[in-house]
Amino acid sequence: MTISVDERRPLRNPNVLLRQEGDRGMAIDPDAESVHVMNATAVAIWVLCDGRTMPSEMVTAICDLSKLPWDVVEEDVRRILGQLEEANLITWRDPT
Amino acid sequence: MADPSVKVLLADGQSLFREAMRVVLEAQDDLSVVAEAADGMHALSEARVNEPDVALIDLQLPNSDGLRTTASLADTQPSCRTLVLSDVEDEELLVLALEAGASGFISKSSPMHELLSATRRVHSGETVVPPHMLGGLLGRLIARRRERDQAMRLLARLTSREREVLALLARGADNVGIAQALVISPETARTHVQNVLHKLDLHSRLEAAAFVMQSDLLDELEEARV
Repeated sequence: MTISVDERRPLRNPNVLLRQEGDRGMAIDPDAESVHVMNATAVAIWVLCDGRTMPSEMVTAICDLSKLPWDVVEEDVRRILGQLEEANLITWRDPT
Repeated sequence: MADPSVKVLLADGQSLFREAMRVVLEAQDDLSVVAEAADGMHALSEARVNEPDVALIDLQLPNSDGLRTTASLADTQPSCRTLVLSDVEDEELLVLALEAGASGFISKSSPMHELLSATRRVHSGETVVPPHMLGGLLGRLIARRRERDQAMRLLARLTSREREVLALLARGADNVGIAQALVISPETARTHVQNVLHKLDLHSRLEAAAFVMQSDLLDELEEARV
């Protein structure tokens, strides 16, 4: 059986600490001795990465709130999740 | 020529806060305070007369609290966008404010430049939420949608007649009331009720009513009846 990319769930790196100030957040990774500055949307998406929530659910919720078109939000969410993965702030889990 | 500035209604129970806000808002070239109100009822009447573009509504407003005032404004003045001001940053209050029709939510302890920015952003059509509350808010929206999707899956088990019965149960109807509404016998109504409870794995009429209300399905069920 193959698993669709959309069914995978992103999971926050549990060792990363988040500090929020104003409309920005800092993700501090003590293991990698690195700090990543994120905007409010990226912080919100990172917070939603609980290993259960699908990217499509994130897109739907953001669309509901912002009234922006699905394709615009989906592209943003995919890009941000890609950046979070690249920065080792999330990993991906298959549905159980 | 008409004044192009954004017309603002200011509703707050504390006169000192209101006056301070008015001074700051009036100092902006693009904003003008067209009305003030110290309570919810007054805010609604001022909105009817002055037709503001943006209403700044304190959540703890006397006489019709901020949430009710926001909901009434959304009904009666749909072109007016509401920015709710709150003493506390509480996610549940944030969700309730947005559900009541608010376009934004901001803490009263925010710096004044943030309040001015939020007023302008709300007027331009944005939804304004404190950045640090965004993740929690989205999490709640996702959880609610999951609950509703699950409820919809359960509803799919019901026949159209059983859905009608469920809607009437949610309205508090007994077997006789259901029978009268659907022009069936009370015995048939009773059988439908039992089938509904069994299919939804519920144990009482009260649970059935709570299921409909908590999942916000009454409109869905009643639309299907039309």
